Amino acid sequence: MINALEVYRSLPRYVAARTVGPRLPGLLAGPLAPLRLVHRDAPRPPGDGWVRVRPRLSGICGSDLATLSGHTSLYFTPLVSMPFVPGHEVVGETRDDAPGIPAGTRVVIDPVLGCEARGLVACESCSKGQTNRCDRITAGHLSPGLQTGYCRDTGGGWSGELVAHFSQLHVVPDDLPDNRAVLIEPLACAVHIARRAGLRDGGAALIVGAGAVGLFTALALRELTPAGHVTLVAKHRRQGELAKLFGASDVVSPNDVATAVRRSTRALRLEPERGPAYLLGGVDVAIDAVGSRASVDTALRSVRAGGRVVLAGVPGDGIDLTPAWFRELDVTGAYASAGDAFEVATRLAATAPLDDLVGVAYPLGRWREALDHAHDAGRLGTLKVAFDLRSAS
Amino acid sequence: MTLVKDVRQLSRGWRWSRRRLPPHSAEPHHSFAEPREFPTEWARSRPARAAREVLLRGGLSPLVRRETTTRVEGLDIFDDLEGPVIIVANHTSHLDTALLLTTLPVKWQRKVTVGAAADYFFDAWWRAIGSALVFATFPIERRGTGLSDTPTKLIEAGWSIVMFPEGTRSPDGWTRRFRPGAAALARSHNIAIVPVAISGSYAAMPRGRNWPKPGRPSVHVRYGRPVRPLEDENTLALNARVSAAISALLDEDGTDWYTAARRAAAEETPSSAGPAVANWRRVWTSTAGPTVRGGRPKAWR
Amino acid sequence: MTRPGFVLTVDERTPPLLMHSGESFKLQEFPLGSRVIYPAESLPGLPDLDEAIENALLHPIDSEPLPALLTAGMKLTIAFDDISLPLPQMRKPDVRQRVLEHVLQHAADAGVDDVELIIATALHRRMTADEVRGVVGERVFRSFWPDQLYNFDAEDRDNLAHLGTTDTGEDVEISKRAAESDLLVYVNVNLVAMDGGWKSTAIGLASYNSLRHHHNAHTMVNSKSFMDPRHSELHSSAWRMGRVISEHVKVFQIETTLNNDAFPSQYGFLTKREWEWSLKDQAMFLATKRGIDLLPTKTRRRTFQNMAAPYAVTGVNAGAVEPVHDKTLERVHQQQLVEVNGQTDILVMGLPYLCPYNVNSIMNPILAACLGLGYLFNMYRGKPLVREGGVLILDHPVPWEFSMLHHPSYVDFFDEVLAESTDPKVIGPKFEQQYATDPWYTHLYRTSNAYHGVHPFYMWYWCAHALDHLGQVIWVGGDRRSVARMGMRSASTFADALELARDTVGSSPSITYQHAPPHILSDVR
Repeated sequence: MINALEVYRSLPRYVAARTVGPRLPGLLAGPLAPLRLVHRDAPRPPGDGWVRVRPRLSGICGSDLATLSGHTSLYFTPLVSMPFVPGHEVVGETRDDAPGIPAGTRVVIDPVLGCEARGLVACESCSKGQTNRCDRITAGHLSPGLQTGYCRDTGGGWSGELVAHFSQLHVVPDDLPDNRAVLIEPLACAVHIARRAGLRDGGAALIVGAGAVGLFTALALRELTPAGHVTLVAKHRRQGELAKLFGASDVVSPNDVATAVRRSTRALRLEPERGPAYLLGGVDVAIDAVGSRASVDTALRSVRAGGRVVLAGVPGDGIDLTPAWFRELDVTGAYASAGDAFEVATRLAATAPLDDLVGVAYPLGRWREALDHAHDAGRLGTLKVAFDLRSAS
Repeated sequence: MTLVKDVRQLSRGWRWSRRRLPPHSAEPHHSFAEPREFPTEWARSRPARAAREVLLRGGLSPLVRRETTTRVEGLDIFDDLEGPVIIVANHTSHLDTALLLTTLPVKWQRKVTVGAAADYFFDAWWRAIGSALVFATFPIERRGTGLSDTPTKLIEAGWSIVMFPEGTRSPDGWTRRFRPGAAALARSHNIAIVPVAISGSYAAMPRGRNWPKPGRPSVHVRYGRPVRPLEDENTLALNARVSAAISALLDEDGTDWYTAARRAAAEETPSSAGPAVANWRRVWTSTAGPTVRGGRPKAWR
Repeated sequence: MTRPGFVLTVDERTPPLLMHSGESFKLQEFPLGSRVIYPAESLPGLPDLDEAIENALLHPIDSEPLPALLTAGMKLTIAFDDISLPLPQMRKPDVRQRVLEHVLQHAADAGVDDVELIIATALHRRMTADEVRGVVGERVFRSFWPDQLYNFDAEDRDNLAHLGTTDTGEDVEISKRAAESDLLVYVNVNLVAMDGGWKSTAIGLASYNSLRHHHNAHTMVNSKSFMDPRHSELHSSAWRMGRVISEHVKVFQIETTLNNDAFPSQYGFLTKREWEWSLKDQAMFLATKRGIDLLPTKTRRRTFQNMAAPYAVTGVNAGAVEPVHDKTLERVHQQQLVEVNGQTDILVMGLPYLCPYNVNSIMNPILAACLGLGYLFNMYRGKPLVREGGVLILDHPVPWEFSMLHHPSYVDFFDEVLAESTDPKVIGPKFEQQYATDPWYTHLYRTSNAYHGVHPFYMWYWCAHALDHLGQVIWVGGDRRSVARMGMRSASTFADALELARDTVGSSPSITYQHAPPHILSDVR
C-alpha cells in the first residue's frame, strides 16, 4: 500500500476550476482541485521489462497545474486515462533489477510511454528514436496515456511507488544530488526545445516566460547552440537574476518586450489600432515557454519574417495567427524530449549553476500547500517546487 | 495642513504687519520705488465730510479752546471772497492745522483740504487714514520730486487748500524760507492766496510735544488780505509777496495794524526769520509766546 | 531703469526664495550666508520693431542691403530656428514671423519666385503644422506650407550636400537646397549666448554625419563653456564649418535678441525679487502653487506649456554672420551677464518645467539632467560657478515618464544604455552608432514627431562637462529609481541634500543659488 495523489474525473470540479481558477488560484489547491490523497495498492508492473521505482523527489510541473485547473485543451482527453497519479519529473530508486541497472539504483525517468513500453513494434517515429512523437500512445498493453503521470496503469511521481519500463530509465550519477537530479527531466525538455529552435550562428532569440522551462531553455540555448542575443521575458526579479545567470543577454518585463526586441534587433515597430504592438523585423526565433494567449502573441509579434516560433508550452486558445501567415513564420512545437536529450540534460544538471533551485520539497500530506506554492512560484522566487517522498514508504 | 504651513512660511518670510526690508546685500540694488500716492478721495466724500464736521465742531474745536487761549483776527476777509483759495501759513507746530481748521468760517471749513507731508502723515496707514479723516489731508511729496496732480484736481473741483510753504515745522519758532509750490499753484490757477500768521503755537506746543502746554497758552491766528497773482509776475515774486504779507501780519501781531502798515510801506518790516543770533536766544524769544495787548487784563499781577 | 543682476547674500532679512521644481515651484529657505545670483531686470524692448527690422535689413553689417541681394530669377532659401527657441514660446506674433514678413516683402518686391523656407531642426523633432503656423504666422504659412515651407530632414540623403571638410577633417554636410541657393537668409532668435552665429546654419541645417564631429563627449568636455563661444570647442568646430559653408553660399544672417520677460504678468512673482513681493504677489504665489498642485498631471502640464512669454525684442542685427553675432552677443550679455566673485562648493538650481526639447511634451529624466547639468550648469563665462569636485543640488521630481511620440529613443537609452554605464565617454563608442542608424528611430524622426535616435546621446554629452567637473550631483525630491539610473543621488528635502553633500564638501561649505529662470550668464571672476 502506498500514499498517492490521484486526479479523478469530476465534471463539477473541472467546470468550477476552469471558471474561477484564473481569478482565485487559491481554490485550485483547496476544495476545488480534482485531486485527492489516497492510500491504495501500488501499481503492478504490466509485464516483463518493467521495474518498480520508488520516487525520491518529484517535481510539480506547469503542465500539472494546468491539468488541475482544467486549462488544458480537451484535445488531451483521449490521451489520458483516469484516475491517474500525476508527476513526471521524477528522481527515484529502482526496486527491481533491470539489465545493467541493479535494484536500488537512483534513476530519473523519461516519462514518454512509447511503443517499446507499450510492447508494440516500433512505429516510424519511435524507430528513429523520436519517442515523443510516438503514434501509438493509446494502444498496447497500457491504458492510454501520453506520459507516466497521465496513465492509469503506471502510477506517477506524486506517490510512494510507480512502475517504469527499462527504456524509460536513466541512471543518475552517484555524485549528482537528488535536488539536481529532479531537474533532469525539465532540462531534457529544454535541451529538446533548444534543438527545435534551430538557431543559426549568432541568431537572436526571445524566450517568453521565466518559469523552469523558460529559464532552462535560456541555459540550453547558451550551452548547446550558437545563439547570439538571448532576450528573456520575466515578470519577477529573482527570475531575472537567474536568467542572467543562465546566460540571457537581456531580461525585460512583459510590457517592454516590443521596445527591447526592437532595440536589440533594430526593427520597426508598428501599433495596430487594437492589440499589442508588433515588429517588422525582430528575433530569429521566439520561444513561448508559458502557453497563454498573450505569451504566444508576444512570440508571434516579435519574430522577423521567415523566423521561427517554438511552442514549448501548451498554447492557449484565441491566438491571432496573422503574423504566422503574413511573416511566413515556422511555427514549431516542442514536446517532451527525444534522442540523447536525457544524457545531455544529466551533464547539464551536474555542471550548470542549479544550486538552491529546488528550495522547497513538501511531503505528500501537505499537497495543498505545495500546489499553492507552485502556483505562485514565480512571485515567491522559487523555480521548482517538489514533493519529497524519501521519508514516506 | 500644508496650507497652514505655507501661510506660516509666508508670514514669517515677509514679516507681515511689519515694515518691509530688503536684504542687506540687496540694498544697493533696491529701488525704493516711489510709493503710490495714498488715496484720499474717500476723505472728501459726503459721508467723510459729515463725519469730519462732527469731529471738528464736536471734538477738536472745543478741545483746542479748552487747551489754549485762541484769538482769531481778520476773519472778515472771507466775507467777499470766492473760493477756491490757497491758505498759506507759517508753521511751527502740529497745532497749526487744528487752529486753522477750527477757526475757519464753517462754509470754508467744509471745502478745505490740507497738504500734508507724504513721508510723515502718509507713511503708516493708520496715521494716513486718521489725518485724512480729521484734517482732510492729502499727501504732498516734500522731497521735491515735483508736485503730483492731486492739488490741481482739488482746486479744479473747488476745494481750497491749506499749505505750509516752509515744508516743515520750524525748529525754533521763527519762519523759514518759503518754498514756491503754493505760489506756483496759485499762479497757474489764477486764484488768491490767503496769508495767515500764527503766533504762539510754538510756545504752546513745539516740536516734540504732542499736547499743548498746561495753562492754556495763548495763540493768535491772524488772517490777512488775499494776495492775488498779478499779470506778468513770476512765481518767485508772488512767493516773496506772500512771505512779506505773513511777516507783516506777524509784525502786526506784535505791534498794531498801523505801525505794521507803516513799516511795511517803508519796507522795514522786521524779518520773521528772526535775528541772526545764537540759537538758544532765538528759541528763547519764541517760547515767550505772543504779547497780549488790549486783551482782558489779568485779575492780578 | 533696468536694474542689473547682482549677487545677494542671504541674511536674516531675506525671505524664503522662489525655486522652480518641474511643473511646480516652492519657497526654499537658505542657510545664512548663502549667495543668490539674481538676473537683471528686463531691458526695455525696441520702441518700433518694424522700423528696427527694416533698418537692419537696409543697413546690414558688412554686407550689401538685402534688397540689393535679391534679384528676379534667383534661388532664395530662408532658414529659421525651430520650436526649441525661445523658451517658453513667445507670445504671438513671434519675432521670426515679423522678420520673415519683412524679408519676404523685399523678395516679393524684387520678383523672386523660387523661395523656400526651411525650419532648421537638425536632429530635433519635426514641428507640427500648428506649431509652424504659430512661429511664422498665418500669411507666411498660407503662402508656403507645406511644399516651400518645411522641416529640415537630416536623413534625406537625396537632399543633403557634402560641401567638403574643414582643415581639421570635419565633414560639412548640410541641406542641399540651402547649399545650392544664391542666397541663404537665416532668421534666428538668440535666447542665450550659445545660439546663433555659425551654429545656426552649420548645426541647424546639418546631418548626423556632420554633427558627430562636435556633438560628442570629447568636444563637450572641452567646451568651457558652450555658453561662451570663444571658449567652446563646439563653437570653434561650428565656426570652422561655417567658413566652408560660406565658400559655397552667401549667408545673410538676421539675429534677434529678447529681454527677460519670460513669464506672463499674472505670474509676476516668478520674476520679482522676493523681498519686493507685495501681499498680492504672496497671495498669487500661494494660490497658484496650491492650484497647480491640485491639477491632474496632464492638465498641469498643459497649463505650463500654454504659458506664452511676453518677450520684448531688444535688438535686431543683420548682415555677415560673424560681426552680426558679435553684436548679438553684446546684447545678450547686457541682459544676462552677472558678475560673480569666486566659485562655490555647492551650487543649487531649481529646474523649471521646460527645456529646449520638451516644448509641448514631457520633461523626461534625461532632459531634466540635461537641463541641469548641460544647459544651466554651463551658463557661465570664465570658470564654472561651482568649484571642481563640488556639489550640484538640483530640485526636480524627475518622474520616470517619457513621451513615446517625441522621445522614443530616449526610453531605450534610459533602459538600456544608462543601465550599462553613465559615462559619456563609455557609452558613445559603444552605443551611439547603433542608435544613430536605427531604422525605426530614423523612420519616426522623418515621418512622425520624434527626436532623432542619437539625440539622447547628445543630451548626455551635454552633461559631460558637468559630470567631469563635479564631485556629486544630488536631486531634491527626485524619483529614486530614475535618479539612481543616472548614477546620481536623491534626497527628499533640501536639508537632506546639504547633509549628503557634506561627504564631498565638508561641514561648512559655501552655497550659491542660481535664481533662474530668467536666464543668468554668470561671469565668474
